[in-house]
Amino acid sequence: MSTRFLEILGAWLLAIIWVLPLLYAVWTAFHPAEFATSFTLMAPLTLDNFRHAWDAAPFARYFINTTMLVTLILVAQFLVCTPAAFAFARLDFPGRDTVFAVVLVQLMVMPDVLLTGNYRTMAQLGLVDTILSIALPYLGSAFGIFLLRQTFRQIPQALDDAARLEGCTLMGRLWRVYVPLAKPTYIAYGLVSVSYHWNNFLWPLVITNSVNTRPLTVGLSVFASTDQGIDWSIITAATLMTSAPLLVAFLLFQRQFVQSFMRAGIR
Amino acid sequence: MELSHAIGLVQSYGTGRRTYRVTMMEPLPAGVPGGAAVRLHGVSRHWGSVAALDGVSLEVKAGTFCVLLGPSGCGKTTCLRIVAGLEQASGGVIEIGGRDVTALPPAARGVAMVFQSYALFPHLNVAENIVFGLKARSVPKADRARRLDRAVEILGIGHLLARRPGQLSGGQQQRVALGRAIVAEAPVCLMDEPLSNLDAQLRADMRREILALQRRLGITMLYVTHDQTEAMGMADQVVLLRDGHIEQDAPPAEVYAAPATTFAASFIGTPPMNLLKLSESGVIDGSVGPVLGPARAGLVAGIRPEALRLAATGIAARVTHGEYLGADTVVACTVADGQTLLARLPGRVGLADNAAVKFEFDRADLHLFDAGTGRRVSTV
Repeated sequence: MSTRFLEILGAWLLAIIWVLPLLYAVWTAFHPAEFATSFTLMAPLTLDNFRHAWDAAPFARYFINTTMLVTLILVAQFLVCTPAAFAFARLDFPGRDTVFAVVLVQLMVMPDVLLTGNYRTMAQLGLVDTILSIALPYLGSAFGIFLLRQTFRQIPQALDDAARLEGCTLMGRLWRVYVPLAKPTYIAYGLVSVSYHWNNFLWPLVITNSVNTRPLTVGLSVFASTDQGIDWSIITAATLMTSAPLLVAFLLFQRQFVQSFMRAGIR
Repeated sequence: MELSHAIGLVQSYGTGRRTYRVTMMEPLPAGVPGGAAVRLHGVSRHWGSVAALDGVSLEVKAGTFCVLLGPSGCGKTTCLRIVAGLEQASGGVIEIGGRDVTALPPAARGVAMVFQSYALFPHLNVAENIVFGLKARSVPKADRARRLDRAVEILGIGHLLARRPGQLSGGQQQRVALGRAIVAEAPVCLMDEPLSNLDAQLRADMRREILALQRRLGITMLYVTHDQTEAMGMADQVVLLRDGHIEQDAPPAEVYAAPATTFAASFIGTPPMNLLKLSESGVIDGSVGPVLGPARAGLVAGIRPEALRLAATGIAARVTHGEYLGADTVVACTVADGQTLLARLPGRVGLADNAAVKFEFDRADLHLFDAGTGRRVSTV
């Protein structure tokens, strides 16, 4: 009984610690600047902070940049990971397990380690300061391949056999059997990928230097830099604006998200 | 069609709340192909040094029902998958309808298949599952609808079309799997233990139904099972497999009446045939009589339990256990040197354990096998 009580208490504590910055951001963003550091229940509500933030920096452009970026990455990752995962899961070729092990090793390499190397490559390709250059290092995802491979492996071989017998080609089987049955995994992986690249900061900061390519995160940091003067109300308003789409998406998909991660072979 | 019992037969039975009615009296619709003959010539399948299938040759005549029977691991499923093209033979030739299909992909062989697990696509509803193959082969929409209607009518699953496989009972899933095989209109249908996931009652019903379906469509059926009841009840031809080779290939009545080997004798029949080692003088080892075989070393006598009857003279035995099954009683006994003898006696037979009994039988019911090779020895 008391352990259960402690568990609940701990859960609440963790939840509160996690949500406090968000609550502070919400409080500050919807109130005038003088209430940023003082809590008064009856403080007047305002949307001015959002208007100021929106006018102060080209957030519309940043939104478009980030949307283009995550869409490009997501589509490319699906296109690249699906056939790779299928090959690792169901095709028999010499060296399959070795190659898969190499792919898994990639999971352990922190992307930040490759910062300078990647920059040099992009410079050689003449792609510095383009959206493609932000996306390029992430188009093949070891995590995506691993996750989809686990899912594909769990699809009964009999379904594959049946489709083969019914006249499906290799691509037909992939498209008509494997992809539809892996839908929850695609959704879960899609959310992880989108949120990661929506929030990704360091690499885009290094590789971009103009308004037309900068994603939201970099735009926000430029906006919040000290030479503009620190106005927490406006910064929190801008932060809420930039993270709102992700929060909404997660709330919409959270059931599928959690379920498919429980099913999708992370055991 | 010689099997007039399939014509004019109306079956109705229940599965759960729903009652199916399958009418078997309509004539065959035009344009439906009959069966095609299937031939295997010396087909082998090796995994390293292990032979799953070792030089199997058999012929299934067009429009007949052939059951591949055997214990698990005997190679029957491998054999079926090789005919389907899902697995490649290490050697040998497979012919379907007179055409060498050994090198053809599964879809080009003109076979439909029902899997043990049914292999229904969980993301598609029943109708989509049934026409899946037709879509993959780009069959025109009107043709697709016609074939679907026909299969649905034959199987009585019209009310299920919009459901997903997960919402169906085992028997209903089985029907959908059959539907997928029917719409393919392939001359050869392969079934891999299709009834093993059903309960006993439903299994008996589906057995009759699958047989009636095969008769009605006139297709060639290759059916894999380890259940001898299915083999005896459905087959025109039983192919008994063991360790990758054919033990016996004959009509069910012949497999029962004249088993080719001791293995065939001990696999068919409930309970299976008694096999008794004989001494050099032709009596059961360690007994004084009666004489069962010729005076020759290394013989085994086979007598079916149902061929035995209690008598004043004959094989002396001691009762160890009696099992009353309703219509008959299976009495387990030991004979002279401790070999077991089972007798299936009609009605209820009250025999005390340890009672001394004697069994008589007709000479025609005696089978002799060579103890070394296990092969049948012609009765003298």
